Amino acid sequence: MDKDKRKIRILVAKPGTDSHYKGAELLCRILRDAGMEVIYTGRYQTSEMIVNTAIAEDVDVVALSSLAWSQEKYYTEVANMLKERDSDILVVGGGIIQESAKPTLLKAGVTGLYGPGTPHDVITNHITERVKKERWHED
Amino acid sequence: MESSEQCVSASGIPIKDIYTPEDVKDIDYDRELGMPGEPPFTRGPYSTMYRGRAWTIRRLSGFNTPEDTNKLYREEYALGQTGFSVAPDITTTVGMDCDDPRIAAEVGHAGVPLSSLQDMDTAFDGLPIDKVSTYLADRFGGVLTAMYFAMAEKRGIDLKEVRGTTANDMLAWCCLNLQNQLPPPASLRYAVDLIEWCCEVAPKWYPVSHDSYNARDNGVTAIQELGMLFATAIQYIEEGKRRGRVPLDRFVRRVSFNTAVHNDFFEEIAKLRAARRIWYKIIKERYGIEDPKCQLWRVHVQSSGSTHTFQEPLNNVIRIAYQVLAGALGGAQSIHANGYDEAICLPTDQSMLLSIRTGQIVQSETNVTNTIDPLGGSYYIESLTNELERQTWDYIQKIEDMGGMAKAIESGWIHRELREAIIEHENKLASGETEIIGVNKFRLDEVPYEVPLFRPNPQQSVDIQIKKLKKLKKERDNAKVQAALKRLEEVTLSGENVMPAVFEAVKAYATMGEITEVQTRINGVWRFPMGI
Repeated sequence: MDKDKRKIRILVAKPGTDSHYKGAELLCRILRDAGMEVIYTGRYQTSEMIVNTAIAEDVDVVALSSLAWSQEKYYTEVANMLKERDSDILVVGGGIIQESAKPTLLKAGVTGLYGPGTPHDVITNHITERVKKERWHED
Repeated sequence: MESSEQCVSASGIPIKDIYTPEDVKDIDYDRELGMPGEPPFTRGPYSTMYRGRAWTIRRLSGFNTPEDTNKLYREEYALGQTGFSVAPDITTTVGMDCDDPRIAAEVGHAGVPLSSLQDMDTAFDGLPIDKVSTYLADRFGGVLTAMYFAMAEKRGIDLKEVRGTTANDMLAWCCLNLQNQLPPPASLRYAVDLIEWCCEVAPKWYPVSHDSYNARDNGVTAIQELGMLFATAIQYIEEGKRRGRVPLDRFVRRVSFNTAVHNDFFEEIAKLRAARRIWYKIIKERYGIEDPKCQLWRVHVQSSGSTHTFQEPLNNVIRIAYQVLAGALGGAQSIHANGYDEAICLPTDQSMLLSIRTGQIVQSETNVTNTIDPLGGSYYIESLTNELERQTWDYIQKIEDMGGMAKAIESGWIHRELREAIIEHENKLASGETEIIGVNKFRLDEVPYEVPLFRPNPQQSVDIQIKKLKKLKKERDNAKVQAALKRLEEVTLSGENVMPAVFEAVKAYATMGEITEVQTRINGVWRFPMGI
């Protein structure tokens, strides 16, 4: 495929029973407008559901969103399950995330960890940079 | 006189730089304003308003376990709160038990888990529920209301004397896209079942509080908020009328409302005033009900969570105080001041105290309660009230033309309205058309300060609650539970009012999950429209 026209495929997913969907759905628009192919799981996903969808859809990135303080459980679970299945799909996360949870999340490979009000390009640049470097192995 | 810069209200109403007698010259005082407690109730539902009874200070609260929530309610009562307001956790809200594999991480996270009558008993242990009123954010077919009534009955309280409100706006909640949501027709059915049942067994209870708070927090305007609110209320009345089981005047007498109070200070005041006049006209002109008690629009308002920012959370103290003041000047019967840390976590002890104090300070120190409807007669407020009313009627009509609120929801139209509002708000934030201090205006590069955070321990709550649930399921009379659930299934299928069967099931210690399983099995779970 023409390198310049290659599009990032990204799965936006909401784990758990957190019902706050505005952030995730806005993110879908932001990513789409930045030229990515966006797949949205909708809410109330278990980690396993998210991992299955990510692999089946052959995405580059999973973007997790939750405003409930259960990110530590779900985000790390998704990252670990992907690794267990020998997948190199990247995981980024956002929402209202406690500072204390961030080291654990970063250690599990979940990056970004953006909160409300983050400028859109900060998010899209982070995702693009990681994909180019870690998935597409571009310089 | 017009300034060159175009000003509009949050609802897009053009605002002049000055209002004069010219703007209110067509107002007929008696017909459109009148005295408080008299039609059309624009100036207030009661003749004495806050001189007779100050607004109820009520916080929606609950967390961790029923035991911890009981402690919290005791503290709130000791601080002078005059009513309880039960926030169930997400598990309970979506009609599941705490051992449901779909939810394990969030038990007790953002509210209190109430899986059975046993949990309700614990949450209200020792609290004077015969003296104060309680608000139940009961979303799933009156199950929590049945639990609350069963708890009151066990304590020897006559249900005829029980005071409080059930949220019960199941139709409005179809717009929230929560898990395990019943389809709109089933939602309407159960909600109206609860109203009919309460008319019978608990005449002092408000069996529905039509709720536009969540819609508003999605970003819709004050006009859309009122339009959706009244279109929903009309749908309920139409259903009650169609069934004809309860006389219509009894059906509407105990209807109450729950709205947001948002940032546009004067527009919010005008909104509450316009709403009272609209409700009066709906009841009197559309339904021909003459009883003034049915024509009163009574409202609980809550500061708008969506206006409270994650950045510089102490700024929210100011926003909330203004919103509470708007509620007071608009004549609300009950006001909830959010915690300033709303955008970050559940309230801490500190923010909970501040929230109660906010209402108390406005009540006791500002003297705004001295006179009724203090802004009545203001050229600006009266013009704004008229304009909000006019545009709200148009919006109600739009929904009516689609066949009513249930149809407007089922078709996906309401979802599109809500989604478009989210996008519009985001675009206005990005462009700077909407300014939020500390977010897109005067934003600081560094986080200037930290605030204390509430730290729930969800895993602990899960473990405690699951253990209790297991014990309950072992010790209760399971034959009785099964019989009660069978009966519930029968009445659900037959179309009878389900509430007596729900009440019996609850008293037999059937759980929330067991009861809603019957309801979702028969009605299905709604595949809500995306609205994108």
